[in-house]
Amino acid sequence: MTTTDIPAKPARAKSPAPPRQQRGRIRREGAAWVFLSPWVLGAVVLTLLPMAVSLYLSFTDYDLFNAPRWVGLRNYVQMFTEDPRYWRSVGATLMYVVIAVPLQLALALAVALALKSMKRGKSFYRSAFYAPSLLGASMSIALVWRAVFNDGGTVDNLLSDIGIHTGGWVNKPGWALLAVALLTVWQFGAPMVIFLAGLQQIPVELYEAASVDGASRKRQFISITLPMLSPVLFFNLVLQTIQAFQVFTPAFAVSGGKGGPADSTLFYTLYLYDRGFVASHMGYASAMAWVLLLAIGAVTAVLFRTSRSWVFYANEGER
Amino acid sequence: MPGNRTKWSCATVAVLTLSVLLTGCGGSDESSGGGRTVLRYTWWGNPDRAARTQEAVALFEKEHPGVTVQTSFAGYEAYKQKLATQAAGGDAPDVMQLDYRQIDQYASGGILLDLGKQKKALRTDAIDSGLLATGVVDGTQYAIPQGRGTEAVVYDAEQWKAAGVALPRKGWTWDEWADAMRELAKKAGKPGSIDPGQSEDCFEVWLRGQGKSLYTKDRDLGFTADDLTRWWTFTDKLRRAGAVSSAEQTTQLDGSVENQPLARGKAVADFNWDAPSSGFTAIVGEGLTLAPMPSGSDGTPGQYFKPSMFMGAAATTEHPEESAEFIDFMINDEKAAAILGASRGIPVNEPIRDDIGPQLKDFDKVVADYQDSVDGSLRTPPKAPPSGDTSLQTTFQRDYDQVSFEQMTPREAAEDFITEAKAELRS
Repeated sequence: MTTTDIPAKPARAKSPAPPRQQRGRIRREGAAWVFLSPWVLGAVVLTLLPMAVSLYLSFTDYDLFNAPRWVGLRNYVQMFTEDPRYWRSVGATLMYVVIAVPLQLALALAVALALKSMKRGKSFYRSAFYAPSLLGASMSIALVWRAVFNDGGTVDNLLSDIGIHTGGWVNKPGWALLAVALLTVWQFGAPMVIFLAGLQQIPVELYEAASVDGASRKRQFISITLPMLSPVLFFNLVLQTIQAFQVFTPAFAVSGGKGGPADSTLFYTLYLYDRGFVASHMGYASAMAWVLLLAIGAVTAVLFRTSRSWVFYANEGER
Repeated sequence: MPGNRTKWSCATVAVLTLSVLLTGCGGSDESSGGGRTVLRYTWWGNPDRAARTQEAVALFEKEHPGVTVQTSFAGYEAYKQKLATQAAGGDAPDVMQLDYRQIDQYASGGILLDLGKQKKALRTDAIDSGLLATGVVDGTQYAIPQGRGTEAVVYDAEQWKAAGVALPRKGWTWDEWADAMRELAKKAGKPGSIDPGQSEDCFEVWLRGQGKSLYTKDRDLGFTADDLTRWWTFTDKLRRAGAVSSAEQTTQLDGSVENQPLARGKAVADFNWDAPSSGFTAIVGEGLTLAPMPSGSDGTPGQYFKPSMFMGAAATTEHPEESAEFIDFMINDEKAAAILGASRGIPVNEPIRDDIGPQLKDFDKVVADYQDSVDGSLRTPPKAPPSGDTSLQTTFQRDYDQVSFEQMTPREAAEDFITEAKAELRS
């Protein structure tokens, strides 16, 4: 050991600084890569590769059992021109986004406002309202939801007691979509926490000045809270819209995987799943997935474009 | 030295990362530990079938001390999807229960083991050759039929009699059936039957009663939009009259007996395959019985004896011989047959069928008697349906949803279905 070490030292001394630094950098970078490796591996193996495969599959006919067969744009053509059920799924999804997202954000904001002015028990209520967001995505809650809104379920019984007989929500077109949307609205915890954080950022002096000027509560909300909160509102809107487009579990559980009644909860992802895993048309399902990706991208871009006219950043005046 | 420490921690992290990755994949090795052979056996069915299957499997394990059979089951729809995903991932269970509608797809996809090569472990000489041939695709025996079944009108005889309506008889027509349903609705105060409009199986019986079929010999549709329009107009009228169950009830059907109007106390009768109807008795109680399906107006019977289900093995199984032995046990063993009864249809093994016939009790006996009553009067079964059919069954139900919720006319929905069916069969 020592014999090999001795000639090494003078060699290092001959060409002193640069290689040593370089080696140090390599070593440091190496360590960084090692620490990054779980993430990089995950990103490549679990995200990038599947995406590439799915893009390829979207141009093929693939039934899981036999090798994929190249069909060019046929899946896309069929989707847009020959598949009435595809358009019904687009319609159901848009309807859902338009109902669920505003309702959810309005509720989140209302509860955040109530919590903000609360003196005691704030953290308890914050956790209590946040809990559904943690549970809500699970299959079990969706199944409970189905039971609650079913014919003879809790909601039906309660409404019957006050004289309104619905005969269940989840087995009627129109009503079923509402039941699923309510499940999403109920999970308003995440946007609520973000709203709460945003509300606490608004300087108290603004409200004090407004009260001195005699502004009403409503006036204060419209002229101070909303503009000051607009970046947070925008953030929540984008996030929840993207999530709403991808809604799957609640509709799957509530309709037993069929998107019924009468295709009223046949959301885009549910129909995608149906094409892929029930009908074994993986190529068609992949094509649908790529169209969804592009559509979400387009909607997000539009939201960003409109945001210029209504989102107000506090430091804008300084620029 | 600091350099060494960095090297060490790098190595540690790398090893940890790798071991985490590897343990994630290594789970399956443990199942074959201890030198025991582990067979995975999956099937669809109801809790009644589950109890009997567990008992039979326990007996098999006792007689084959080196073999453990892990079973799992689900409802038909969920099972179908899970099996397809497993098969595509190269992870098909060693032994699996298959439907007539799945065989074509699974055999042509190379998922199934050639059972003809397992003759030593798996005896087939006691099975009627015509029935055995239903498990053959392109000249290879990929699956063994396990039982035979036929469709039936399941009804609560007491309620029916109490309503004072003439009981169903052999050879009754669809018009007579419809009259009975109207009368039942009037006198029993609830719909006579489930709405058969959503069921491709019922439509097939109706179609065959007119001498037509779902599929032609060259795997094309055997009917036109006109035929389907007539069927859906017929059922839609009955639904509007309250003679069959409402759209809200029909849309909840998912293949499990629990969600059928008959089980929910919302109808007097139901359509179902004969053996699975045993699931109703646990909910509705005794007093259920079976009647033949309505026939065409000239008396042409539409129902037929179908291999109720098959057993197949995975081409990828590591234990082809044990798998074959297990299939043999489930089909040919007398003690197993005594346990299984008619839970998977009346057994295909002829000596066993004759043997257990008199021993059958409760609903099994009802099924056996029912099969005897129609035996000999039915026409030959159709060929196994083409692969696209599995998803068309669901499409059929969805399109009829549009009719029963009055969002489409029978004509519009029928044309919708034909369009999708043609696309499905083309690919």
